[in-house]
Amino acid sequence: MPSRPLSPHLSVYKFKYTLVSSILNRFTGAALSVGFIVLVAWIFSVANGPQAQAHLQWLLGTPPARVFLAAMVISFCYHLVAGIRHLVWDTGRGLERATSQKSAWFIGILSVLLMLLVFYCIWAAP
Amino acid sequence: MAEFRLPANSRIAKGITHPAPPGARALREVRIYRFNPDSGENPRVDTFSLDTASCGPMVLDALIQLKATVDSSITFRRSCREGICGSCAMNINGVNRLACTTALQELSGDIRIYPLPHMPVVKDLVPDLTNFYAQYAAVKPWLQTRTPAPPDRERLQSKEEQERIDRPAACILCACCSTSCPSYWWNSDRFLGPAALLAAYRWIIDSRDEATGERLDELEDPFRLYRCHTIMNCTDVCPKDLNPARAIAEIKKMLVERQV
Repeated sequence: MPSRPLSPHLSVYKFKYTLVSSILNRFTGAALSVGFIVLVAWIFSVANGPQAQAHLQWLLGTPPARVFLAAMVISFCYHLVAGIRHLVWDTGRGLERATSQKSAWFIGILSVLLMLLVFYCIWAAP
Repeated sequence: MAEFRLPANSRIAKGITHPAPPGARALREVRIYRFNPDSGENPRVDTFSLDTASCGPMVLDALIQLKATVDSSITFRRSCREGICGSCAMNINGVNRLACTTALQELSGDIRIYPLPHMPVVKDLVPDLTNFYAQYAAVKPWLQTRTPAPPDRERLQSKEEQERIDRPAACILCACCSTSCPSYWWNSDRFLGPAALLAAYRWIIDSRDEATGERLDELEDPFRLYRCHTIMNCTDVCPKDLNPARAIAEIKKMLVERQV
């Protein structure tokens, strides 16, 4: 039997909202697992005394680290809202074609609002 | 493991552009994936000019027209031309659907026709569905009973019991759903895919079937069932408006419920 080619998949398939929302959920989840390593490092630094903590605090205040932390906030907000959608799905609700497309938009908008709220709280904090 | 790039023998080479037919009135560009197993060459995408004024309304009509008038070697499966056999499932403008029930008019811009995604290609638009059928067979899609049948009549169902299986049983096994699922793309060797799981669901909820426990046992597996991440492509594309995603969610629920 001749070796059969594999038909194109990602390169031809249309990216619908439902598909994009699922990819974003996977992507933000992966990003958060990196973020949790930083969180663990921060907890370790607290346990290791004021000097270690001040050191890490300085490191997290540098511009690249701030960008990273902002990305973590965005990821967390999206992943949280998308996770709640999954919980609703697990009860067997919201799985119709039209509903799932609407909820894909809904969680997108809701997570952006949540991000804005979190960033507002960060900047407004004394 | 997910392999996002196509293997070397599957990358698409530059194709042939066929000239427009003389005297054509309403031209539309149709690009078709071509692969000839005898040539030893990579697949390519050929460009055709379709005269929609002299062609039927559906994508299948366009394929038949081009095969009859331009290139007789265009290869595709088709039979009923009314959405009940499931033979002409293909990827049309980025979405899996039946060529016979997709109107040319509902597609915007050029028409792009590829075989069902992430499948071994036999020729042109004909994918190898051996694995897909084997997965269907794996869920034992037939009535299993332990008790003897009533001697004087069939195993009867109430109207409500029939209505529960009426929709899931309408599946035509066209493979649009399974081959639209990214989870199935990356794990088709171990994940059963939406079509086979919808069939499994149809027998699990059948009031006459007496192997419900065994059927659920078979599915309780990190890959066979739980590779479904509710991406929703299956329900989105189903040409019969069935809902494999909900069927899978219901199976997951039953697996949890029987433990409490």
